[in-house]
Amino acid sequence: MNAPAEERTACVECDLLVQIGELQGGERAACPRCGHVLTAPKADGLTRTLAYALAACVLLALANAFPFIELKAKGLEQVMTLPRTAVELYRDGYATLAVLVLGPIVAIPALMLATLVALLVPLRHGRKAGWLVPAGRFLFVLGPWSMVEVFVIGVLVSLVKIGAMASVVMGISFWAYVGFAFCFTAALSSLDQLELWREIEACTP
Amino acid sequence: MSGFATGTAAAEGLACCHVCLKVAPDALHECPRCGAALHVRKPDSLQRTVALVATAVLLYIPANVLPIMTTTQLGKATHSTIIGGVVLLVHHGDYPIAAVIFIASVMVPISKLVALSWLCWSVSRRHPTSYHERARLYRATELVGKWSMTDVFVVAILVALIHLGGLLLITPGPAAIAFGGVVVVTMIAAHSFDPRLIWDQLGDADG
Repeated sequence: MNAPAEERTACVECDLLVQIGELQGGERAACPRCGHVLTAPKADGLTRTLAYALAACVLLALANAFPFIELKAKGLEQVMTLPRTAVELYRDGYATLAVLVLGPIVAIPALMLATLVALLVPLRHGRKAGWLVPAGRFLFVLGPWSMVEVFVIGVLVSLVKIGAMASVVMGISFWAYVGFAFCFTAALSSLDQLELWREIEACTP
Repeated sequence: MSGFATGTAAAEGLACCHVCLKVAPDALHECPRCGAALHVRKPDSLQRTVALVATAVLLYIPANVLPIMTTTQLGKATHSTIIGGVVLLVHHGDYPIAAVIFIASVMVPISKLVALSWLCWSVSRRHPTSYHERARLYRATELVGKWSMTDVFVVAILVALIHLGGLLLITPGPAAIAFGGVVVVTMIAAHSFDPRLIWDQLGDADG
């Protein structure tokens, strides 16, 4: 959708008022004063985001259902699943830590995906819906708190640490989670904040 | 509207909604598009940021002094701190992993706290440092914030995975919570700092 010609935007980093002209897909507009990227809409951004979000939903469900890492040492076997990570921390008396871990890697991304689907399905068809504004606000509140990429690095570091003591096998969940992290990040990076809110405004009854 | 540089939204009595980026008259107090509270600048930005930075500094002490995890091998418990873990990795020759943990758990949080303190100080003193440099510093601070969680995730994975009865058992330590707290509090601190304050110094000349 095109912005009305008279609409101006302000750079969130330096507050300069900027008039953004019409952009082709793939182009970006940066603040002339501080260089902050104001908007970078992708061609078919909403459709792309929805596609990645749906793929991420499936992969996240898989990542929670199967063994994440299997460990073998001295005839003993141990299987770790994502939900068990939180359960073990909770059992050791560290409920805060359980929330601090499972929140940013599973719960918050899951809520964000549900919100994305609830937003994008009506928006793509130009259907009006009353929940679009609260859903959009919810999405941007949760945004900074998802840490899926950080968790992938954490897993790799742990594997090296454990590798010294025992042999480890990556389970189905590990690969599902890596795929999920990729799709989730791709979904969010195809989403342009300015464009999304313009669409939400157009579809709010 | 003196004090704000010409060409800014603030100079025209406009505020940019921090949720949906709509530019609307500040007098509305509420964004006409998404309903979020409108502010020309984040309220009490410097005070909040300084208070949160101080909180994070205090939390960083137990995070480093107390053990982040305890390894019990055949009944013998070994406590390890964040730095202890890095030293152990270096001894094992795992230099890349030692570097990852050192950067994520030591360098990133400390540089974030120094950067935010410096930004607050330079803005309140109207220090004549390059606007672009400070803007870049702020962007970097916001970007790297969550990567410090790496070590907390590593502890969580080791705890979940290594529960081999009396043979080998890893349990979390109180430093894990303190360090998680440091990460969360510094993220909120970076978010409460308003980068527009850096550029507001340009308005001084306009008077």
